[in-house]
This record gives sequence, C-alpha cells and structure tokens, in this order.
Amino acid sequence: MKSNFLKLVLPAFAILLAVGLAFATEDRAVFQDGHYYDTAEQEWRSIPAEGCGETGNTLCKHLGYQLYSMPSFGSTPLRKNVP
Amino acid sequence: MSHKGIYSKLITLFSLLLTLLFVYTAVSKLMHLDTFQLRVERMPYIASYATVISWAVPFVELVIAGLLWFARYRTLALYASLVLLGSFTIYISIVLKYSESIPCSCGGVISTLGWTDHILFNITFMFMALLGIICNNKQNIMQSHQNTVQ
Repeated sequence: MKSNFLKLVLPAFAILLAVGLAFATEDRAVFQDGHYYDTAEQEWRSIPAEGCGETGNTLCKHLGYQLYSMPSFGSTPLRKNVP
Repeated sequence: MSHKGIYSKLITLFSLLLTLLFVYTAVSKLMHLDTFQLRVERMPYIASYATVISWAVPFVELVIAGLLWFARYRTLALYASLVLLGSFTIYISIVLKYSESIPCSCGGVISTLGWTDHILFNITFMFMALLGIICNNKQNIMQSHQNTVQ
C-alpha cells in the first residue's frame, strides 16, 4: 500500500515540480537584430542576434560575417560575453 | 537495511533526479519551441536538422521521464538517459573544440551555465544514470536469485 502510494506520488511530485520550475524560471528571450553584409549576395541581411549587444569580450558573427547594430559598416559591431 | 532496499532507494532517487531534469528541460523547450528551433538552426553541423531536432529532443526527454517509472522499462530508460546525455556532452565538446562559439539551446536556467559547467552538469547526470543501471541490474540479479531459491 505504502509502496504503491510512493510509486504514484513520487513521480507525480517530480513532474509537477519540474513543470512548475520551468514556468517559474521562464525567460522570454528578446533578440536584437544583427545585420551582416553577405558578400556572396552583395546585400545586407538581418538575423535575430541572441545574446549580442554593444559590449562583450567576443565579436558576434554569423557564418563568419560580423554582425552590426544597423545595416551599415559605420554602425556598432555587435559583441557578446563568452565565459 | 538490506542491499536490495538500498538499491531500490538509489534507483528511485536517480529516477527522480533524471525525471526532474528531463521534464524541466523538455517543458522549457516546448514553451518556447520557436526560440529553441532558432537556436538549433544556428548550431554547427546540425542546423539542417533543426526542425526534426526541435521536436524530437523534448519528446524523447518526456518519454524517457515517463518510462523511468515503469519497472519493465526502467533499464531501457536509464540507458536512453545515458545515451542522450552522452550525445549532448560529446556534441558540445566537439563544437567547442572545432567552432568559435555556439548558442546554447538548453532549457531554462541551464543555459546560464558556462560551457565547462554545462559539461560537468551533464557528466554528473550521466554518472547517475550509469549508477542507476548498475543498481537496477544488481537488484534484478538479487530478485532472480530469490525466485530461484524459493
């Protein structure tokens, strides 16, 4: 009786706890657009540049192209912090 | 406490922790599936399979979490946990070695870990899965001996 109770309650508790934690630690990511000049297509393209901003210890790149805050080489090159 | 009792408790503990991990990460991914898919699309080597991976990974995690609680499928679930976590760890290690950087497609707060910490985190749970397999096998052996004696 006790064994069956634990076999049902424990997994149910773990699942509920995990689901609750997932909702509690929810972090809706907000992506800044990053712009890069695609030399193959000879045009500027944009992508969501997650984790990139104007400061950081590493340059943000996509497919080897540097990401910028605006579709212009004169704008701020985007950077990110890599631990 | 008999060895059988200890093994049973350890198996339950490891199953609880693995369930917690897999349900948490699966629900976190499913809550923001579009974001998860976007992150996978930006990861090297597997970007082409982003759509399949973004659905399959949380699905597999939830299935494993469920199977851990059925004695008949527990061994399978523990092996699957080991393989899944091992795959994640190997992939991270390869990409870190050969690529500049990768975005983390992890679920929830795990994405706030550094890559070294993340690998250690994965290895810890892989170790738990492995211990769970060993305990489960020992328990099965003891049970079959008991059945033979009786």
